[in-house]
Amino acid sequence: MHELSLALEIRDLCERQLVRHRAARLSGLGLDVGALAGVDLESLRFCLGVVLEERFGDVLCEIRRVPGEAQCLVCTRRFEVVEAPFDCPDCGSRARGVAGGGELQITYLEVE
Amino acid sequence: MGAKRVAVKENVLSANDRIAAANRERFQDAGILAVNLISSPGSGKTMLLERTVERMKAWLNVGIVAGDVQTRNDADRLVQYGVPVEAIETGGSCHLNAEQLGGVLGGLPLQALDLVFVENVGNLVCPSSFDLGESMKIVLMSVTEGEDKPLKYPAAFRRSSALVLTKADLLPHVRFSVDTAVANALSINPALRTFVTSAYTEQGLQEWMEWLTSQVPKH
Repeated sequence: MHELSLALEIRDLCERQLVRHRAARLSGLGLDVGALAGVDLESLRFCLGVVLEERFGDVLCEIRRVPGEAQCLVCTRRFEVVEAPFDCPDCGSRARGVAGGGELQITYLEVE
Repeated sequence: MGAKRVAVKENVLSANDRIAAANRERFQDAGILAVNLISSPGSGKTMLLERTVERMKAWLNVGIVAGDVQTRNDADRLVQYGVPVEAIETGGSCHLNAEQLGGVLGGLPLQALDLVFVENVGNLVCPSSFDLGESMKIVLMSVTEGEDKPLKYPAAFRRSSALVLTKADLLPHVRFSVDTAVANALSINPALRTFVTSAYTEQGLQEWMEWLTSQVPKH
């Protein structure tokens, strides 16, 4: 739902990085998106395509989906989560914290 | 000149998080409890705030930031209670961000306040991802919604400190089990404090206001 705001945020971060690296052009971008980050990949890809092209021209986006990992708040077991309701495989509890897969991070840029 | 790959490792929301940290510092310096209210549209955030502020202003200095996609209607309703109110119109965005909140904080007399309510845009998804610098998030859910809402939108419930069930006066007319809804919410977040309220009959409001008061750092 907020993928357009995220894409604009990513565009601004790229812009600052270009200045920092004294680069003239952005040609590629690597992004890690966790499965529990609440981001719809297709929508993000679409929004990124629009806002990056408008500013930088053609940019190759490599988006990596990081699997979701939860930690049970009752028995502390860590387990991968794929689909709701995410019950703990050991004790059956549904209470868990996000242990991995919450990230939304730019990992690299390709600049010229 | 060929392309060169540079490692970055920068969180996309890091700009928001930096501003949120600055907002948090402003609240802490002023000894304020800042509450980020999150719910679906129509759950009764404004109505709960009206009844709450109307009473709490007798013993606390309360300020409000009301966010909406469009219109200042909520802010106009709340300003009648004689407390400082700032409005944020997001102009299409489905959530408040830290920069928008930071932009209006200067309009509130922070040093004189004990409690600031931030009424987020009605939406149970996006607002839970954007830290505003609040002391706590509180999620609202009305008894006309599905009991399984905590399971469908777990992030909002996982990141909140309290759940306020609203419109409890409608319970005789709807098929809604408070026990099931609360059990679902607690299954996502066992630390969630829960309140069953009605802004019309004032059921549960005393307990809700006493708890809020106990969370204010100055008191």
